Amino acid sequence: MSALRDTQAAWRTALLGGEPAGALADLVAGGLPIDSRLAIYRHHVATSLSELLESVYPVVCRLVDRRFFGYAADAFISACPPAGPCLFEYGAGFPDFLVRLEPCRTLAWLPDVARLEWAMHRAWFADDATPLDPRLLAAIPADERADARVRLDPSVTLLTSPFAVDDIWRANQPGAPEILVSADAGPVHLEIRRHGDEVFVRRLHAPAWAFRSALRAGSTLAEAGERALALDESFDLAATFQALFGDDVLVAFTHLTRRETP
Amino acid sequence: MIVRDGGVRQPRTRAGIGLRAPHVAEMLERRPPVGWLEVHAENYMGGGPSVRALDAIRRDYDIAIHGVGLSLGSADGIDGSHLVRLHRLVERMEPTLVSEHLSWSVFEGAYLNHLLPLPLTEEALAITARNVDRVQETLGRRLLIENPSSYLRFAHSTIPEPIFIAELARRTGCGILCDVNNLYVSQANVGLEARRALELLPVDAVGEIHLAGHAVNDADGVRVLVDDHGAPVANAVWRLYVLALDRFGAVPTLIEWDTNLPALDVLLGEAAEAERLLERVERGAHVCAA
Repeated sequence: MSALRDTQAAWRTALLGGEPAGALADLVAGGLPIDSRLAIYRHHVATSLSELLESVYPVVCRLVDRRFFGYAADAFISACPPAGPCLFEYGAGFPDFLVRLEPCRTLAWLPDVARLEWAMHRAWFADDATPLDPRLLAAIPADERADARVRLDPSVTLLTSPFAVDDIWRANQPGAPEILVSADAGPVHLEIRRHGDEVFVRRLHAPAWAFRSALRAGSTLAEAGERALALDESFDLAATFQALFGDDVLVAFTHLTRRETP
Repeated sequence: MIVRDGGVRQPRTRAGIGLRAPHVAEMLERRPPVGWLEVHAENYMGGGPSVRALDAIRRDYDIAIHGVGLSLGSADGIDGSHLVRLHRLVERMEPTLVSEHLSWSVFEGAYLNHLLPLPLTEEALAITARNVDRVQETLGRRLLIENPSSYLRFAHSTIPEPIFIAELARRTGCGILCDVNNLYVSQANVGLEARRALELLPVDAVGEIHLAGHAVNDADGVRVLVDDHGAPVANAVWRLYVLALDRFGAVPTLIEWDTNLPALDVLLGEAAEAERLLERVERGAHVCAA
């Protein structure tokens, strides 16, 4: 039984939009009313986290307008408060939260726009990694290369959407010319990553996207190639593989030689 | 001159500024003369360009690490995974000082983004001391603990704040980061006696001073000071700082600014003023509280 624990439990409830009575019960009256004093803390928690979400999701905010965004952010903060103090990691669950948010049900493309914004934010804070030297992979005997697995740059996200969310994102940048974006001009297969100090978003062909996605998920080069070929029989596996090096997107590989394979 | 003591670089007794993201590019370009820089630990626990920029900056400046998320007052103890991340950062950055707050912010897996107040009880003191012990054991170095800015008091608090902090320092060997603006804000909001607090904090433990501006708000006719780090240091806080220097000596002093961040030169100007006062103390002159 801990009095401090009880106090902190009551404050957690009060600060995340819940009943404040428990937190207020412990406070000294005088001068400014106690509920106004507690409100200083509540206000700071709510506004600082809401502003943080707005900075990560500026296009979503623009698309739904700021007042609605504030409502959605408050609901998200109460339901999914930060799990830790590194706030650059906070907000990953917001796109899925938008899927479940009733007033957004008609904006089918909105969660994917949010996923794109999260991928860009995440890319910025991803660890630096050194691109793999192509000679290392070339050193593997050709007939064993198919069994190698590779690791992609940690900043990479592979995102697909039935909607042209990259066009929507571009059209909603500050100062972007007024253009009509057809949301259903999809599907799009996107790669989001940081290269140097810049974050890039680009479209890949569906088979190349499937190839990289399979590699990201841990498939061998042969398995990833099969996934791509299933989408397009004329898929050029060798060229796509070479492009991985040209893009500096590989950072490591693992490979069991035939002798080690049981 | 940097004196090495047990592998830890000792800070020069000079004035520094809190380094914030919008000033990083200018710092790298101009390399202005300033004693040292302090960064918030949690902003540098990821990777990418901002971490790389800090690596470039710390080739030329001493860096202090100021944590905001350890939640030293958490009843359930501190988050071990966050402590590991702090430890890694400290090992990598070789900071001159590492500091945290007398506050809590984590409960049952939720990080409540604020330095929340602790009831000043024997129980809270024992819990905080246990948490500080764990951090100092993990980091293998002394932590400085900052006094909070307060907006309310708990009915069951039994220990005056400066005595609570002094006792925490005595039990754990931690140092004290005396935030002079926080003393002033707490005096206005909850009646803490700022001058008396300076007398009660143990001189030997005070290893850093923070200065910042605050906002003066009117809430239903009641004056409330909000510690928003969004203005120049108030005259009354400068006067209190002079008293602090008289008592603690020339302690490394930081200018903090977070809200409405102005041009870098404004921060450097505030630091130059602190530097002027520090130099007078170092020359042995009694600084007169004008």
